[in-house]
Amino acid sequence: MSIALARTAAEEALDFSLPHRRMEEWRWTDLRQMIDKPYPPRQMVTAEQGEVERLLKSSPFAAIAGARMVFVNGHYDSKHSKLVNSAVEPQAEITEPVQQMNAAFATDGARLVLSGSIDTPVELVFIATDAAPRTIATHNVIEVAGGASATIIETHIGKGSYLANSVTEIRIGEGARLDRVKADLESHDATHLAHAHVTLSANVTYREFTLSTGAKLNRQNGTYAFKGEHTDAKISGAYLLAGKQHADSRLVVDHQVPNCASRELFKCVMDDHARSIFQGKVIVRPHAQKTDGKQSSHALLLSETAEFDAKPELEIFADDVACGHGATAGDLNEDHLFYLESRGITPAEAKALLIAAFVGEAFETIDHDGIREALTDYAARWLTEHRRKG
Amino acid sequence: MLDINNLHVKLEDEDRTIVNGLTLNVKPGEVHAIMGPNGSGKSTLSYVLAGRAGYEVTDGSVTFKGEDLLEMSPDQRAAKGVFLAFQYPIEIPGVVTMQFLKVALNAQRKARGEKELSTPDFMRLVKDRAAKLNVSQDMLKRPVNVGFSGGEKKRAEILQMAVLEPSLCILDETDSGLDIDALRVVADGVNALRSPDRAMIVITHYQRLLDYIVPDHVHVLSKGRIVKSGDKSLALELEKQGYAEFDKSAA
Ligand SMILES: Nc1ncnc2c1ncn2[C@@H]1O[C@H](COP(=O)(O)OP(=O)(O)OP(=O)(O)O)[C@@H](O)[C@H]1O
Ligand SMILES: [Mg+2]
Repeated sequence: MSIALARTAAEEALDFSLPHRRMEEWRWTDLRQMIDKPYPPRQMVTAEQGEVERLLKSSPFAAIAGARMVFVNGHYDSKHSKLVNSAVEPQAEITEPVQQMNAAFATDGARLVLSGSIDTPVELVFIATDAAPRTIATHNVIEVAGGASATIIETHIGKGSYLANSVTEIRIGEGARLDRVKADLESHDATHLAHAHVTLSANVTYREFTLSTGAKLNRQNGTYAFKGEHTDAKISGAYLLAGKQHADSRLVVDHQVPNCASRELFKCVMDDHARSIFQGKVIVRPHAQKTDGKQSSHALLLSETAEFDAKPELEIFADDVACGHGATAGDLNEDHLFYLESRGITPAEAKALLIAAFVGEAFETIDHDGIREALTDYAARWLTEHRRKG
Repeated sequence: MLDINNLHVKLEDEDRTIVNGLTLNVKPGEVHAIMGPNGSGKSTLSYVLAGRAGYEVTDGSVTFKGEDLLEMSPDQRAAKGVFLAFQYPIEIPGVVTMQFLKVALNAQRKARGEKELSTPDFMRLVKDRAAKLNVSQDMLKRPVNVGFSGGEKKRAEILQMAVLEPSLCILDETDSGLDIDALRVVADGVNALRSPDRAMIVITHYQRLLDYIVPDHVHVLSKGRIVKSGDKSLALELEKQGYAEFDKSAA
């Protein structure tokens, strides 16, 4: 039995029912309550060029990316893009609210087929410029051909108040390698809803890293389907949150075939009233023997009012597997701080060193030196600015 | 240089006095050895001097280079020249030893109004000191103390000391856990730092270390106070007789 709920103003504007806390997967992120004002869709906004260029320049990858594809307010920006779309169609089944919303409102998105060995990273930049609150939705389809290797960066930047909905569908062919880096640097007035749908063939190496530090409200889903044997995926993330930021990640790793490995590592740094949630589900299907699946999420709480929730779920139907999960939450270690301070390091600097060391483990999973350094610098700047602020 | 006067220290969250009326005067250039049974308060004294939280000074004073040491934060004390080689050095995952040394040295220099050391100068300094203490380049690239053996941790402490060049070195059982060769290496490292304007407090259970680092004064600590002081011959006496007699006299 379902109870009809009166529509909120946000739902009216979208003509769409938002997920809410009575849905198990959304229990910590009740969009009906949290999206507190209307974000009308299909609002064309003419972007001011100066603003676009400023935002583009603020990408930590500006100096690293080889080819760029830029979307401004949900539309392909030919002036700033080097790449054009290929003919590749979405295939993912639309099952969950972020996807449904995207299907209803997506205006554009990257369609890429990557083949051969691409040395320099490809950056997809999603920009939202300052204007009246609105919904911006993009849908990307990325196909990595068999044997190819590539690095793809998704950068989300913006100004003002908006709701960004981003769905990325990734299909990786046999023997290919994809390194995917996603940086959520949205405006602090923004809502970021994302869904990644990743399909992995045999002998694939997949590396994913997400930095979440923008957006006041952030929800990211990821589904990773292992469809070929001897595939290895590492999915990592770092959160740097303060103020009243809220970030909820739900990952479903689905081992459908034997002999694959998955590693999930999430590190969350939270201050003030920030809150983060890590929901990680690992499914091992009956014949997916020799699956090696591990998941861990760790939170560093810098204030007593910050909150971290972890919900690990293991659904294991095969008997010869090595799977595990771990979650921890704590504050900075007093003994560590004292040791550093006893060597002359100021308390503020000691704190920054320990925070950087804590998230560093997640950044270490990024193979590309330039990207890792750019993001590490970005995180260091966050720490300094954050410290200066309070 | 260091004047500890009638110092009383209790645990912050327990009504238990650990240091109980301790008086000690250390002049520049001197080496003082502190010996005493387990639990007599040696490490507590060293922590209080370094500024660790969790202890409360209920009476007495500590003056360092004419200033009230107890008023300073741990990092200020370090910049002033206090260095504690920990009995149990702490492992810090994720902070690379080399980076840690650089941040520490430059933080101290900055606090003293000195110029920061350039990276090449710093590298040269660390390389030189590390070679003398048999600390490998590999150890310098690893996180602070993580995965170091007991002996490696002690050598790493002395390396930090050699790089930071403090004026008051407090060594808390730096000899325990060292093999005979390492003991000599560490003792040589410590002796290399002996100078007319640097003082040392060496906490140990064993006379052997004092064969290498020859003290000017030896003190016996029992139940939180010094019950006997003498020259280096006192250490030999203790080695033969144990502490039984002093425990009685402190009761
Ligand atoms: N933080 C603390 N909490 C509880 N007890 C403490 C604490 N610090 C010190 N003590 C107690 O104070 C006493 C003195 O300890 P301390 O470590 O100073 O002894 P020590 O002389 O260094 O001994 P050892 O020779 O074994 O190193 C011990 O009984 C110890 O248990
Ligand atoms: Mg001790």
